[in-house]
Amino acid sequence: MTMSFINLALKNIKGNLVRSMMAFICVLGISAFFISTMVVSSGTRASMQKGLQRLGADLLVVPYGAQTDIETALLMGKPSHIWMPQDYLDKISAMQGVASVSPQIYLQSLYQASCCSVSETFLVVYDPKTDFTVTPWLQQNLGRELAPGEVVGGADIFSPGNNGTIELYGTTLNLVGNLEPTGTGMDQTIFFANDTAQEIAASSVTKAVSPLVIPQGKISSILIKLKPGVDVRTVMAQVYLDLPDAVPVSTPQLFGTFRDQMLGLLGGVMVFIALAWVLSAILVGLVFSMSANERRRQMAVLRALGATRWYVLKSLIAECSLVAAVAAMVGSVIGFLGIFIFQSYFSGTLKLPFLFPSAVSLLALYLLSLALSLVTAAVATVYPAIKISQTEPAMGMRE
Amino acid sequence: MISLNNVTRSYILDGGSSITPVSHVNLHINRGEFVLLVGRSGSGKTSLLNLAAGLIKPTSGKITIKDADLWQLTDRQQSALRASTIGFVFQFPSLIPTLNVLQNTALPSTFTRLSKYVALERATAALNKVGLGKRLGSFPKQLSAGEQKRVVLARALINEPEILLADEPTSDLDESTEHDIMEVLKELHGDGMTILMVTHSAELMPYASRVLKMEEGNLFECN
Repeated sequence: MTMSFINLALKNIKGNLVRSMMAFICVLGISAFFISTMVVSSGTRASMQKGLQRLGADLLVVPYGAQTDIETALLMGKPSHIWMPQDYLDKISAMQGVASVSPQIYLQSLYQASCCSVSETFLVVYDPKTDFTVTPWLQQNLGRELAPGEVVGGADIFSPGNNGTIELYGTTLNLVGNLEPTGTGMDQTIFFANDTAQEIAASSVTKAVSPLVIPQGKISSILIKLKPGVDVRTVMAQVYLDLPDAVPVSTPQLFGTFRDQMLGLLGGVMVFIALAWVLSAILVGLVFSMSANERRRQMAVLRALGATRWYVLKSLIAECSLVAAVAAMVGSVIGFLGIFIFQSYFSGTLKLPFLFPSAVSLLALYLLSLALSLVTAAVATVYPAIKISQTEPAMGMRE
Repeated sequence: MISLNNVTRSYILDGGSSITPVSHVNLHINRGEFVLLVGRSGSGKTSLLNLAAGLIKPTSGKITIKDADLWQLTDRQQSALRASTIGFVFQFPSLIPTLNVLQNTALPSTFTRLSKYVALERATAALNKVGLGKRLGSFPKQLSAGEQKRVVLARALINEPEILLADEPTSDLDESTEHDIMEVLKELHGDGMTILMVTHSAELMPYASRVLKMEEGNLFECN
């Protein structure tokens, strides 16, 4: 075969360059927009999921009214001061269905103070005896607990002096490692054990611009692991009944406010994309129809020379599909690159939890974008293509 | 070779009225005949040619090519028959503008089982035959009307068809080009090709073995 329908379609694309470019730019724009939105959406979801995994808890108990503060703290790394009685820990431990509990204390470094080498950073104090947030990572990576004077940082924490130390409230601490990135505020958080916190607090009175105060008998949150098969709602109900000043938050519900806002925003964007996609399909269809109609005689000649209706149909649909496919490929790459370049803007300036999706997710999104563009091209072109392929050749020659 | 039995083609116009460019035509063309179809504009010559090739469906009647009832064939069979048996020379410019002369000439081989190598070899030979062997890479817009007609003639020959249907192949051409094209047709006829050609020009009658005349949709034999 000298001229496959693909070859013919390619020649026609080249021959109708202006129109092909119009369709190309249209599909490219919509693909780039679609992909970037999907990557942000997927990256935000992945980040929140990773953050929840990092916590390692089924349930979180926080002081009443502090749900938003805790979400902001964990999600955006914005320090928070929330306190509740430490004896809640024993009460929750005693509840039916609870496997283990671990307290956390939330602190912050001072703002631009000479005694703190990191400014206004979220500090999480954990109990090494019960912790299941940092300890599993320590066991796996260091093979030991943190020693007094040692801290571990989130993925974005580094030693300002590049000497492996961080100064907090006048105390020099060793940064012994960084946790894997989650894309949440936990990446900008410093974790250390209770003993270290008490040491810092004690010496801060003389060494720091302002002392670190850890209220006696108070904690910020309680992380709960449930026994297998236990309904989380049962334990939540017990917390509501027994601890009136505390609120249980199941981890799937954590970040719920933010997730609702994000979903609302993304929903709006997706509606916009859907509309833009329909408009682009109409535009591509019109561009293609005009181009195809001008070539009715050409198609009729092909039929006269021995082309089947199917060949004509294929070559017409291939023409638009090739343009759409290449535009979707290029548009998707532009979308990916745009988000890749500006990802620090999301986590930095916008304080959005964002973790660049995995290669598999990116590939899936890429294929989805490609498939959507091809379907759009097919839908936009199938009617005029069928109409032209069904026209009697002699009738086509008259036009 | 080609038979039209009581063939009629009518068109319904927008206003509801109808026209019948071909009315109850009976025609039998034998293998190797060179039939010239003459008549005034609008007399139905091109419609008859299109009917003979299966490019329009008759309103009534039967058309056979090489004993095959054209409208009993599937689209694929009909297309295959056209590709392998019939060569076309159209009245209007029919070259694909995005293909060069060689590609245009080889195009019909796409619809047969001809290999690419053989197709290009035949296309080159056919273009040499019509005097365009040095314009293989040119595009249609770079050719004169006469050159384009010659490419179309070369294209019609690529699959070595048994039948050539030509619709005013020499219209709008100068005398010399007209003569060149008619000489090629004469040679093809001499080689045994069956030719049905529509023309306005009475001067071309000597080339034909038989002359037919269309008048208001009816076909008459001219002696």
